[in-house]
Amino acid sequence: MSATTQRRCVQVLNEALHELFATREDVVLLGEDVLDPYGGAFKVTQGLSDAYPDRVLTTPISEASLFGVAAGMALRGRRPILEIMFGDFIALGMDQIVNGIAKFREMYDDQVTVPLVVRTPMGGRRGYGPTHSQSLEKLLLGVPNVCVVAASECHDLGALLVHAVEDERPVFFIENKLMYGRPSRRPEDGHIGELAVREAGGEYPALTFSGNAFDDASATVVTYGGMLPVVLDAVTELILEHEIFCEVVALSQLLPLDLDPVLESVARTGALVTAEEGTLTAGVGAEIAARVSELAWSDLRRPVRRVAARDGIIPSARTLEDAMLPRVEDVIDVVLALEGVRS
Amino acid sequence: MLEIVLTREDANTEYALLAEWLVPDRSQVEQGQPVCVVETTKATVEVESPGAGTIAQLYDEGVEVELGAVIAYVAESPDELARIDTDVAEERPSPAKAAGGERKATRKALELAERYGLDLSAIDKRGFITERDVEELLVQQVATAAPEARPLLAGISLEGVTLPASFDLDDATGRLDPSFVESVRQDPATFVALPPHEKVRALREHGAVVGEGVELGEGSLVIAPQVVIEDGVRLGPRANVRCEELVAIGELSQFGADLELLCRRAVVGRGIWGGRSIRFGGGGHRDPWAVLAIGDLTFVGDEAFVNVCRPVLLGREVFLTMRSLIVTHNIGHSVLEGFENRFAPVVIEDRAQVGLGAVVYAGCRIGSEAIVASNSYVTGDVPAGAFAIGVPAKATGKARHEPSRGRQVELGRRMIDDLHELLALRGHDVSAIEDGELRSFEVEGTRVGFVASFRGGVDPPAVVLTLERPKGEAPAGVAVLDLLGRQIYGEGGVVLDSVREFCRKRGIRLEPGPWSYRGGLI
Repeated sequence: MSATTQRRCVQVLNEALHELFATREDVVLLGEDVLDPYGGAFKVTQGLSDAYPDRVLTTPISEASLFGVAAGMALRGRRPILEIMFGDFIALGMDQIVNGIAKFREMYDDQVTVPLVVRTPMGGRRGYGPTHSQSLEKLLLGVPNVCVVAASECHDLGALLVHAVEDERPVFFIENKLMYGRPSRRPEDGHIGELAVREAGGEYPALTFSGNAFDDASATVVTYGGMLPVVLDAVTELILEHEIFCEVVALSQLLPLDLDPVLESVARTGALVTAEEGTLTAGVGAEIAARVSELAWSDLRRPVRRVAARDGIIPSARTLEDAMLPRVEDVIDVVLALEGVRS
Repeated sequence: MLEIVLTREDANTEYALLAEWLVPDRSQVEQGQPVCVVETTKATVEVESPGAGTIAQLYDEGVEVELGAVIAYVAESPDELARIDTDVAEERPSPAKAAGGERKATRKALELAERYGLDLSAIDKRGFITERDVEELLVQQVATAAPEARPLLAGISLEGVTLPASFDLDDATGRLDPSFVESVRQDPATFVALPPHEKVRALREHGAVVGEGVELGEGSLVIAPQVVIEDGVRLGPRANVRCEELVAIGELSQFGADLELLCRRAVVGRGIWGGRSIRFGGGGHRDPWAVLAIGDLTFVGDEAFVNVCRPVLLGREVFLTMRSLIVTHNIGHSVLEGFENRFAPVVIEDRAQVGLGAVVYAGCRIGSEAIVASNSYVTGDVPAGAFAIGVPAKATGKARHEPSRGRQVELGRRMIDDLHELLALRGHDVSAIEDGELRSFEVEGTRVGFVASFRGGVDPPAVVLTLERPKGEAPAGVAVLDLLGRQIYGEGGVVLDSVREFCRKRGIRLEPGPWSYRGGLI
């Protein structure tokens, strides 16, 4: 294996940005510390300001106004990409998002659109403490008319980002801090590692994984973003240690929720586990559980189970943080506890 | 031995890509010589050797390595290099992202392959290799192999199972005159009608080894080409023991009325206690694989049923309690139509316990000292030491919880109280309990007591329960029972026998054995 065959996710995103800037004059990027040579806290924008000095804007630390500025640029026909250095800080922009960005198009009778992309990394496991480690995408799920896209290392990150920029809707493009440094793992010949993978259609497709060529499986685990590698490790261990096979559905579009791939998988497996890194209560998994219970009650042979972070704040100490966030063992335990799964 | 460590370059990075080794593995490097290129999100850096020597690389190129990890050693002498090869190579860390990569065969597949010595590289498959894949390979290989190439116990691990000594019996001992065997098989009624002592005599006369004090009950039949029955074996009325090749029953083993023992080879150990109406056999009991082995001191409860068409190995001190059921095959529709058609051995390792009415399905293995709760249905392996319960049985906890020394002392002292009460209720003249370091009473002129650690100071005759091996020789007339070491030191009469029986009923089986209670005070 040579180094060139493995591109890390941060490189893939960086290349997609370069391509967007090269092909679209209307794309601009703004955020804190995004200029070269620093190139952003996670280096996603590296090389961009050197190549396009007029279209990369470094900003003060004032997220509320950043959202407003970016929204204004979008209303005026640009395609702004707003980098929020840590996902936790979208809370500062909530008024702009909820009362402005999400509503302009309908309030102004479709005369304007807000084709804004907000890129931001969520997730913990880095010891960054209570205000730099959260997974807050669930706060956006109740906001009508916005699109929430969660990128994972197995998705075509470049294509997702290009689609987000071309989308007329405001798109929150959720990245993950650990994902940046990990290799991009795209399906080759329908497989990632030993797992067979099917990719749904659409701009923000879901990926469905199977360890036994979509033969009988015990459960479907639906997840997204930075939780995907945790879930893949768990299902791999379930196969190797217990010969228990689960299908995994990795969503990339969290809002609007398109659960067709999940429903198809549940029709095969009869059981659903949701897995997310955010806190349990009123999480993404809760919404999915409610919908799948409504739409696939006859397929479900047992109650939907959720794996998520404990309801609490994330401690700085790594050991305590690990205990707070959902781990590989948590996914394994929940699957093993499903009635009838263990022979 | 020097370490080459990936140091952290950037607060936002956990892993770095080991992009390229600049020197071959096991080559000579100098201090300060760049040995590899590492990419972090911040930069591409060259890592230098901390000293001169031979480099031993732990990772391949192109893998992500956790920052802070050792990626190579530099051996400064051939000795160090050899040590790296032996010690370090075994502990070689897996690459940070092995998911879906490193091991693609499941644990069950690996175990099955190891059991039959199969090479998994013979399986050409995309994705995970499962037990089923190995089974298919096995079927292919068995189909092409000569049938006699498969020993009866091939593929069955004997780890954790102490088989009876007679398992390795030679072919000649106790071999019967074939014409006698044939005549009994043709006309069993004549043998069945013989009085018990005549049966023993007839068997001996025709070549069987039958020990002293063997009792074959009224209406019983024992016939096999090879028969070895040791001293003191007792089979109750109407026992029906017919084996195609061999029956061997060890010293002092006993079964109650209506025993049925049908299989090809039955080797039953010493000191087995079997209840009434026990059946070994059922469908397929004449199959070439129908081997039954029961380890010493095992307990088989009333009405237990053990199907023997494939090997059934019960270890030493196993408890197979009332009405429990072991099957080695199932029946049903055709395997070609996708129904299960299973023929598989069952192994119950030493000291495991199968509860009342529990069912153990073909192919299962119950680990040593595990407990299967009553009425459970065991469809998979139960790990050693586990407590498993349910339908299907699931391991929910540990079978035993190590008591503290204090608790053991308390339990030992309480045994004296219980024994005292039992003897009193039986109408024996017992003295009041005297408390002290030795908690004791007197019965039949013998002092019976418990002391945590025996150091003498008890007048004979006495029977002393204790928790450890006595210091020095037990004085004449004093029998010391080490309850944890499960050993009797010294000798005694009826009181010792009664105390020993009392202990046996509490699961404490003592050496020297086997031993059989012939009556006494309880």
